[in-house]
Amino acid sequence: MTAGVRARNESAWLLPNDGTRTNHRLRRDMRRFADDDEVDLVIVGCGAGGSVLAQRLARAGWRVVALDAGPFWDPDTDWVSDEAGSHHLYWTDPRVIAGADPVPLGSNNSGRGVGGSMVHYAGYTPRFHPSDFSTLRDDGVGADWPFGYEELRPYYAAIEQELPVAGEHWPWGDPHGYPHRPHPVGGNGELFLRGAGKLGIEARVGPVAIANGRFGNRPHCIYRGFCLQGCKVNAKASPLITHIPDALAHGAEVRADAMVTRVGMDERTGRASGVHYVRDGASRFQRAAMVAIAGYSIETPRLLLNSASPRYPDGLCNEFDQVGRYLMVQGAPQSAGRFDAEVRMYKAPPPEVSSEEFYETDPAKDYKRGFAVQTVSPLPITWAEHVAAQGHWGRALRDYMSDYVHWACLGSLCEFLPLAGNRVTLADETDCYGLPVARFAYSQCDNDRALLAAAQHVMEDILTAAGADEVITIKRYAHLVGGARMAKDARHGVVDGRCRTFAVPNLYITDGSVLPTQGSANPALTIMAVTARAADHLISGARGGTG
Amino acid sequence: MSDGPVTAPDPQGRFPGFAVLRQAPRWDELTALTIRSRVAPLAAPRFFTTAEQATARALVGQLLDQPRDDLGVPVMEMIDARLADGQTDGWRYEDMPEDGQAWRDTLAHLDTDAKERFGARLGACADGEQASIIQAVQDLGSRDWHGLPAGHVWSLWIRYACTALYAHPAAWDEIGFPGPAYPRGYKNLGVDAREPFEVRDARPAQDPVRERL
Repeated sequence: MTAGVRARNESAWLLPNDGTRTNHRLRRDMRRFADDDEVDLVIVGCGAGGSVLAQRLARAGWRVVALDAGPFWDPDTDWVSDEAGSHHLYWTDPRVIAGADPVPLGSNNSGRGVGGSMVHYAGYTPRFHPSDFSTLRDDGVGADWPFGYEELRPYYAAIEQELPVAGEHWPWGDPHGYPHRPHPVGGNGELFLRGAGKLGIEARVGPVAIANGRFGNRPHCIYRGFCLQGCKVNAKASPLITHIPDALAHGAEVRADAMVTRVGMDERTGRASGVHYVRDGASRFQRAAMVAIAGYSIETPRLLLNSASPRYPDGLCNEFDQVGRYLMVQGAPQSAGRFDAEVRMYKAPPPEVSSEEFYETDPAKDYKRGFAVQTVSPLPITWAEHVAAQGHWGRALRDYMSDYVHWACLGSLCEFLPLAGNRVTLADETDCYGLPVARFAYSQCDNDRALLAAAQHVMEDILTAAGADEVITIKRYAHLVGGARMAKDARHGVVDGRCRTFAVPNLYITDGSVLPTQGSANPALTIMAVTARAADHLISGARGGTG
Repeated sequence: MSDGPVTAPDPQGRFPGFAVLRQAPRWDELTALTIRSRVAPLAAPRFFTTAEQATARALVGQLLDQPRDDLGVPVMEMIDARLADGQTDGWRYEDMPEDGQAWRDTLAHLDTDAKERFGARLGACADGEQASIIQAVQDLGSRDWHGLPAGHVWSLWIRYACTALYAHPAAWDEIGFPGPAYPRGYKNLGVDAREPFEVRDARPAQDPVRERL
């Protein structure tokens, strides 16, 4: 099977095998395009979506430039094994949060630089369930996708091999296996399995995009626990090492430190002509026959809105006031339990064990849809946030913190519903480029609150069953998706099922913002699979947006 | 700089003899540099005025119980450096000013409260007086405090304070966390499993909750 992966994506074999993590020669020899050279495709953002698109289309012979606002990371010289020292991995340009339940941004749900937020995601890569694609039809909530799970299945399997994903056989959703065996678990995973076992709740090890064993020139995980600070080992998958090397080897250019400020439009034809961007303080314009935006759920809508022009006074693709709407965030309450034994949850990767037992709608409950439960294992600064959220400060805070090694911690991902009023608009405030910053308004609905309470209950039960003598919970949020969703027509969304915008025939969106629902799954794998599917469509004949 | 502990390991602490910095020779060079820069003397404050420094020092001292149990972590200076460099978390509440201005405004409000109740700026108040002024802000919950939602003010203070303290190796010594782990990694995973360099908790039953009951 390894040979099969290598034949279609050689990234892991293009990395060095001498203990360093970056193929500098590949980057130095990278093909470079001139601004006025009309490339086949310019991509905005090199995260989960943008990187997969670049790799697929470069392999198919397209002339591709992928821009990212942040750096072209080198794990050896840019990343540290330290929580506070990893602040630069996040998008920290100003943003305004509002609504009844404002959602903090930055560390938890944004990325910056090549690899995007997958550089610092935990590494969980579950598939969506078949039920996620028709929640409106079957549950009367959320939205229906323009296509079903079966359409994504082969892309899920392909990406799982490319990352690769390790885990036990997965019994939930569409049952499937993983290419790599499950990793051993640390104290936190052990206690989750123990508590779930006592309650008769099924929990399994995985699925995590951390190679178990050598993969190409990527070494084995060393279980150092700093997955959320960027993997210095090259064991945890991110597009920086899973797709970008192969893209470069096939002639794509990655242009880092290039902030795209607006999409260029030919006002006469109504087609995109390239992107305006700022690099080294200079304003530039890259010509392209096709543009794909992959800036994630906040920056993608912001870029569309900031691309307003006389022909598109309310922003690009926004004739029906859909841009920025239906932005979802997963409710992510986190419960911790205290044990006299030492758990030392900072050892081993935070993503260890999960359960999707509560994922679907349970007719016996008074809420729709559900949640997943996973180990989370916060490091001290994040753990202090959990403790402080209980209201502790002063001596009490320090006492709780000195007890760190005794706590196990679980997190839930609750399927908060897509609501039209949860959206990105432009604030009055501007950033260092003089562009209006994003304002993100978010408010929960009753179903969201019911899910939060149910998830908290289950996590606290599991920890108590495992022997915890105290449990404390913090309400927080995790991943974003939506904001430029796919739909059957322009009145209900921004792109069609193949990620092409309804408004502009040669403008695509290939990132998490196109997802109409979010399930209770971490979104990275699905973003990659949706993009790989869109790429196949482009390769089969839509170059220049004519397909 | 020596790799000895920042402060002498506390024989009364829960992890006797545990000193994170002793492991520094086994960290990658870049990480070791990052951590060592945190224990080096900091430059003079660049963001807070002299008056603001006194108020901020009193506030974070209370939030982190530093005056009574000083770990030698320059929390106020670390916050000042972040604000001077504009290193925010990448968001602000719509009903709050940006972080730097929010710190300035709220420090001024604390002094106003302190003068009104005890006739002196916060930094000049007695320990118990400082605590009661700060407790009063927390007790407001999400209600208004000098035109700002108290809960969002509290979130700003505690977030910056905890991020500073628990970035420091002296705090890691206190909580038994060994800090950086590259390229070393961990070999002994699981409940009650320790590496040779980890120190067993001397008082495992010192559950903060049990002690409060």
